[in-house]
Amino acid sequence: MSNIVLLDSQSHRKLRVHTQAAARFGDNQRFVAVVVNEFHVLAMHYPILFSKDADTGQFYCGAMLGFDAGENLFLDEHRALSAYRPLNLQRGPFLTSGPDLAIDLDHPRVAPSGDQELFTEAGEPSNYLQSIMGLMRDLRPGLERTRIFIDTLLGLKLIEPVTISARFDDGVNREFTGLYTVNRDQLKELADAAVLDLFRRGYLQLIYLMLASLDHVSVLAQRKNRSFLP
Amino acid sequence: MTQRVQSIVIVGGGTAGWLTAGIIAARHQGRMKSGFTVTLVESPSVPIIGVGEGTWPTLRSSLQKMGVSETEFFRNCNAAFKQGAKFARWTTGADDDAYYHPLMLPQGFTQVNLAPHWLGGNSGRTFCEAVCPQGQLCDEGLAPKMITTPEYQAVANYAYHLDAGKFAGFLQQHCTTKLGVRHVLADVTRVNQSERGDIRSVDTQQAGEIAGDLFVDCSGFSALLLGKTLGVPFKDCNDVLFCDAALALQVPYETPDSPMASHTISTAQSAGWIWDIGLPNRRGTGHVYSTRHSTDDQAHDTLMRYLGPEHAHLTPRKISFRGGHRETFWKNNCVAVGLAAGFLEPLESSAIVLIELSAKLIAEQMPANREVMDIVSARFNDVTHYRWGRIVDFLKLHYVLTRRTDNAFWRDNVDPDTIPDRLKNLLHLWKYQSPWFFDEFDRLEEVFPAASYQYVLYGMGFRTEVEPGENAGTEAMAARLMNDNVALTRHMRSQLPKNRDLMKKIFEYGLQPI
Repeated sequence: MSNIVLLDSQSHRKLRVHTQAAARFGDNQRFVAVVVNEFHVLAMHYPILFSKDADTGQFYCGAMLGFDAGENLFLDEHRALSAYRPLNLQRGPFLTSGPDLAIDLDHPRVAPSGDQELFTEAGEPSNYLQSIMGLMRDLRPGLERTRIFIDTLLGLKLIEPVTISARFDDGVNREFTGLYTVNRDQLKELADAAVLDLFRRGYLQLIYLMLASLDHVSVLAQRKNRSFLP
Repeated sequence: MTQRVQSIVIVGGGTAGWLTAGIIAARHQGRMKSGFTVTLVESPSVPIIGVGEGTWPTLRSSLQKMGVSETEFFRNCNAAFKQGAKFARWTTGADDDAYYHPLMLPQGFTQVNLAPHWLGGNSGRTFCEAVCPQGQLCDEGLAPKMITTPEYQAVANYAYHLDAGKFAGFLQQHCTTKLGVRHVLADVTRVNQSERGDIRSVDTQQAGEIAGDLFVDCSGFSALLLGKTLGVPFKDCNDVLFCDAALALQVPYETPDSPMASHTISTAQSAGWIWDIGLPNRRGTGHVYSTRHSTDDQAHDTLMRYLGPEHAHLTPRKISFRGGHRETFWKNNCVAVGLAAGFLEPLESSAIVLIELSAKLIAEQMPANREVMDIVSARFNDVTHYRWGRIVDFLKLHYVLTRRTDNAFWRDNVDPDTIPDRLKNLLHLWKYQSPWFFDEFDRLEEVFPAASYQYVLYGMGFRTEVEPGENAGTEAMAARLMNDNVALTRHMRSQLPKNRDLMKKIFEYGLQPI
């Protein structure tokens, strides 16, 4: 399934990677994990919600990209670089292992025909690899910040389940369950001190970005309906 | 002047004491500011008996109402899931003789009674299999929920197995730090009564005199307040339920990853039965038997044979008990909960559920003052009498349907003189109509609902006659419900994790509150 090793400038000197968005490279996800540092750009395009990791039950934040399993309605924009592509899709086959960069050698993006090299002739990190290193510098602390944000909201009982359901032009009613958002009523009931604390930590802004981003669900639905047109 | 009931004093700190304290304190949090107090006096030297490691699903809502985190409960009490009980060798004693009493109701139980449809059909399925998925979930060692299912919510209805010693300590911590219960570690040396017999206060060796308006006797078998002080006699029921001793033994798993059952396994023996429950860190086992029908040595051999030679070096602990209950439970301003109220063999885990129901009734009906207390206590006694009676009947039901004749224990159990009249009448009635709604189990909080009787009756091969045409009106609905059950069973089996795997995840990641 996967073959994850630490990246090594000697043994991986000749590796190449496909970077463009495509379903065959794993971009076909209807819900992708995101971190709080991305919220302000994500909120321009996608609904941002909470969901639970199927394996651990822990909450995470994610951007909704489609309605059906394996459906990313933004593939074209991601390929054309015309809409923000979440870090977790940008990072491709790369992962972090502590401070080090690791790569999944079995990832479909890793192939001799890939459009980007990892190392220059001289064995230096390529511009592409440097951009991945930069991305990881955002992603790694972002995960920790996101976890603390979620724990804070859970502690204040501010997270509630939400089911997104819509009827589409193909006549099929779709339900997207296992999603959660901020509980507006509970938010209104918060004590002043708690509100001030959320504000100072920047969480109030994140909360309102999430709530406002829910309006994108209907935009997403229109986008999906367009796909049924001949 | 009316004497307000403001200060509740609980004497005794086992499972009964702390559950009662928690349930009362949680229900009356709002009154704490205006002088309502809950005090628990516990002897620093009397050990906790720790009865019952099995519970009913009611404990989920009891804990939730007390504000307990289910994750913390699992981790601190070595708690595990219980989806019901499997009764092996109770009917014929043969190797393949077993049935389930699951915790899920039959499909569509509130709309239609599936029992006559099952009886009238010939699906080849057991009753439990035909009407609910839970037996198959247990067979496959599956958990009743997933790691993504929130705390206290279920995919398949569940209760818990738990370590009762740890449970009392866990509740104590919660009650004293979160619910404002006052904890006094002291030995009661004297009980002071008023002229009309009410308990005014208790003198303690370490903490002086503790006065109260309502006293809850959770002092265990000794029944210090209700029995010793107020003289309420004990009513024995050994003539109906013969078991009066148990050999208990904690057994380690082969490896920490060994599969763990998510149901109680109760296996009938020649003069009693053996319980076997899975906690995360060990199995709790024990042999309950009748000393009139078996010597202690025979019982010991029976238990060790069940456990196998690899556990031969372990030594079980003997507990003698007297099955029965107090003649009345609330007298003057004193009410007994837990072992002080009574005890029955743990065949259907009735001990903790009865504590919860009693504590809840006290909390909900908390008399405002001494003048109305006798009205409340009369009700409490009426309901609690009813409950003990129904539990005795329900436990006896497991014995009267046996076809075993291998020991006088089983032959004596079917002797009509040992069967309570009420149960006798019901068994007569059930030959012609199966228990459901409109039967007499219609109390608001029935300990065992009609569904439980169905599972035991039809699990043990009892037949209720079905009149020709009786099912005609509900045939289509029953067929649909039984098909739904097949689909639901398939869905749950594909979705639910192994019980052991989920327990490990709960210890590692915890369940989410929502």
